[in-house]
Amino acid sequence: MKQNFRLFILACCFAFTSFAQENYTLSGTITDASSNETLIGVNVLIPSLNTGVVTNEYGFYSLKVPEGTYDLVISYLGFQTISENIRISSETSLNFKLNKSSEFLDEIVINQSSDGLNIQKPQMSLNKLSINTIKKMPVVFGEVDVIKSLLLLPGVSNAGEGSSGFNVRGGAVDQNLILLDEATIYNSSHLFGFFSVFNPDAIKDLKLYKGGIPAKYGGRVSSVLDIYQRDGNSREFKMQGGIGVISSRLLAEGPIVKDKGSFLIGGRSSYAHLFLKFTDNENSAYFYDLNTKLSYRLDDKNKLLFSGYFGRDVFSLSRNFKNTYGNTVLNLRWNHIFSTNIFSNLSVIYSDYYYGLTLGFVGFNWDSGIKNINLKYDFDHYLNDTFQLKYGLQNTYYDFNPGEIEPIDETSGINYFKLKNKYAVETAVYLSAEHNISNKISAEYGLRYSGFYRLGPDEISTYENDTPVVYNEDRDIYEEAEAIGTQTYESDEIISSFGNFEPRFSIAYSFNDNQSVKASYNRMAQYLHLISNTSSPTPLDVWTPSGPFIDPQILDQYAFGYFRNFKEGTYSLEAETFYKKIRNRIDYVNGANLIANNNIERVILNGKSRAYGLEILFRKNEGRFTGWLAYTLSRAEQKTPGRTPVETGINSGGWYKSNYDKTHDISITASYEVSKKWELNANFNFQTGLPSTFPTAQYNYKNITVPVYSQRNSNRLPAYHRLDLSANYNPNISSEKDFKSSWSFGIYNIYNRKNAYSLTFKENSDTGVNEAVRLSLFGIIPSVTYNFSF
Amino acid sequence: MKTLLKIFSLFLIFIVASCEDVVDIPLDESEARLVVEASILYYKGSENNIQQIRLTETAAFYDEEIPPVENATVKIISEEGIEYNFIHTSEGYYINEDLKPNLGESYELEIVYNDEVYTATETMMSVTDIDFIEQTETGGFSGEEIEVKVFYTDPVDEPNYYLFIFRNDKISLEIYEDKFTDGNQIFGYYSNEDITPGDIIDIEMYGISKSYYEYLFILRAQIGENSGGPFETQPATVKGNVINQTNKENYPFGYFHLSEVDTTTYIVE
Repeated sequence: MKQNFRLFILACCFAFTSFAQENYTLSGTITDASSNETLIGVNVLIPSLNTGVVTNEYGFYSLKVPEGTYDLVISYLGFQTISENIRISSETSLNFKLNKSSEFLDEIVINQSSDGLNIQKPQMSLNKLSINTIKKMPVVFGEVDVIKSLLLLPGVSNAGEGSSGFNVRGGAVDQNLILLDEATIYNSSHLFGFFSVFNPDAIKDLKLYKGGIPAKYGGRVSSVLDIYQRDGNSREFKMQGGIGVISSRLLAEGPIVKDKGSFLIGGRSSYAHLFLKFTDNENSAYFYDLNTKLSYRLDDKNKLLFSGYFGRDVFSLSRNFKNTYGNTVLNLRWNHIFSTNIFSNLSVIYSDYYYGLTLGFVGFNWDSGIKNINLKYDFDHYLNDTFQLKYGLQNTYYDFNPGEIEPIDETSGINYFKLKNKYAVETAVYLSAEHNISNKISAEYGLRYSGFYRLGPDEISTYENDTPVVYNEDRDIYEEAEAIGTQTYESDEIISSFGNFEPRFSIAYSFNDNQSVKASYNRMAQYLHLISNTSSPTPLDVWTPSGPFIDPQILDQYAFGYFRNFKEGTYSLEAETFYKKIRNRIDYVNGANLIANNNIERVILNGKSRAYGLEILFRKNEGRFTGWLAYTLSRAEQKTPGRTPVETGINSGGWYKSNYDKTHDISITASYEVSKKWELNANFNFQTGLPSTFPTAQYNYKNITVPVYSQRNSNRLPAYHRLDLSANYNPNISSEKDFKSSWSFGIYNIYNRKNAYSLTFKENSDTGVNEAVRLSLFGIIPSVTYNFSF
Repeated sequence: MKTLLKIFSLFLIFIVASCEDVVDIPLDESEARLVVEASILYYKGSENNIQQIRLTETAAFYDEEIPPVENATVKIISEEGIEYNFIHTSEGYYINEDLKPNLGESYELEIVYNDEVYTATETMMSVTDIDFIEQTETGGFSGEEIEVKVFYTDPVDEPNYYLFIFRNDKISLEIYEDKFTDGNQIFGYYSNEDITPGDIIDIEMYGISKSYYEYLFILRAQIGENSGGPFETQPATVKGNVINQTNKENYPFGYFHLSEVDTTTYIVE
């Protein structure tokens, strides 16, 4: 392994030297003129050289050009395009400030050149939504929700209304890497899953990588949701906020030192629990979150960014039950420009997820969580106009608290109990190249090497034949094995180690400016597992590291796509197919009790999963009428065969559908600008019903009716569909005044479809007759939200 | 007004306009299987040795009748080889009046039905005594429901498993292990919105084996309110300890266990 690693480093060095060339570098940062906010993904083009680049996550660009005079075109969605004639005769640093296009405040015009680049760039399987698009979509209770909006794009789904997280291309919820300002978020849901943790006002940019994932990212096998928070306005003090049915928001931003430093602080909270307080009701359910950001530009080459996120959900039912959970993220970053063509970012990140539960009537408190400290150093190296490198390293230290039980008071019958903390280190180095091989062919290829070390102190049980789960052949059930001993590890002693090479490769072939085909392959490794045997994860589920009995999940994904712009980018079409398989997906034996279990290895089996599908996205990008049609045809399955021929495995060892498998998933999203002040939006959603298991018989045991279930997930809930409408009203959009307000009126599920959230087969306790009971969650729900900014 | 506000908020947060209705869902039918309900019990202080075993078959899910099995031969064999024959009386109930199981001793159940032989082996489990019963009114969603706590003292330094059966109008099974309560005075808990003062609740506390506890753990997850929705575990086939020795594929449901039982009756105040 060490040998391989050395070779890899050598290869990196070789790559740097071999592509160096004599040319001048044009570089700089592009910002929004009104706020000095850096802009991500701005196109910087030199048409005469047929070359260009987009700004990175920190607004930086760099281009290698031969000496000469050129027209430089800088364009970005919703901003006025800058076209400037420049003379390059030495290393040149040029910063640009873009003005918002006054005519279209709503960013409905997608500049054609930006789509042109998408056609040629090798990156595929990327879902992008501007935060403005997200903000105007109709949503339940009018609560703008990043994740719910992503569900309207192909390849993204969830396990039903009110389920937590999201599923990408048949992957599980815990297989998504969710980054907020480069820091990992472990649970993206508020109120179990009704809302997501991201405050839309604080977000600058988001991208969801479903496939062809660059080597920069790793640690999860299914997708990467990369979200960047805004830096804050360093020109003038601004406030914005909103009042909605469920939650209200307020965000303030402004300069610390004008044009150099800025702050941003935003808060959001639900407030229905306040009404409960008035009624002497002790039940309560609320959430809040706080986003903060400080940024300070030291000089042209150095910038410091501090960001923080803190969110909590609290539920309590009288004194009997109290539940608190949430994420905390702190992050310090240093942007440094080494030379005009090397941009670097060093991040020190702390993130933690906490879960606490108090059960008053049983008499205990329960705490669990995960903490990590992450050091990342990433470089963007612009070698020449056809070759760009990204490389870096990451090191993360984890501290897992799987659970601690304490009695509430002396009268409690509960004994103190602490599950052993687990420790681990994850490291990674990567090198990735974006290479324009010819006018028609461009490629992005890279390699990531990831290592994972489970560390002591710990005590690991040992088992006969190393088998912690025993198959009882007579009864055809799996049983926990008894430990035959314990192996004790000292602090920082390595318990087990894993290493994986993760190659990534994408290629694009452009037929012309408007048409291309792309293909990609990526391998990824995931060392953390969310231990959960419910259909959709609950906040109580604990993360556990790979170790002596749990192997890392390994993904191989292949994707192929066809991309086309019509009518100069007014319409666009993306069609992709994918196939992916994941090894070492944990599955749980029947009756596995995962809570406060010190020996998870005794209730899990090693399985695999696979998914394949076709995704089509047809968009209208320009004009008063915009929107898209998204269609996904897919299958997601899981299989856990027996370990020996006599064993049956889980679900008889055969493939079974994942809980979030949907054969067809269609969404239509449309937006129509009636006038400057009024805008109408609609979305329609149709999905095959979620997999479910229906009983095939019943019996009576101790006077209780017991349903008999056969093959897992072999039935389906009825099809899901609904239509949502919303109207946005901006009364003073053209006014000169600073204070601007807008109203958003929405109706969710307008034809009041009773979509099944679940079907429960049970005995009616009054009549004694068995019946199927449908629970439907959201009927027709009107909402109104008021937003303001000044 | 207060009530209205309360209802409004609860509606909003917890139930979010949800609704439940009965729907017509056609179901596939699986083949009928034998169901064994063989609970051999010794009630503390009782002189009564009447034991009964119930044999039925599975039925289609929407059927209102459960077919009894009336033509099986049923016996229990002790460690010493003493055979206790169970005689069919009616409706699938088989009776023996001589079996008084000894604590810690193992017994074998043997059933012959449709020319197939089913067997199961279990150990007679002891149980500690019920200490006292406490009633409080802080339970449930409203924080005002009546709760009945049945206290007992768990024997220290040994794993113990308990089954509580509460019966008033409804029947409720509660199971406990002593992982977090070893050696302590702890309680079996019963609360639901329908309990009212004057109700008579029959309470039985069984000592059960680990494997019967695990069986009931899975069984409980399949019944009634505990199924469906994204935060529930996958339904599973609940396999018991009765094994079809003739044809493994034709496995039965149910369980054979032997338990000492402490019992009491509580009148809700």
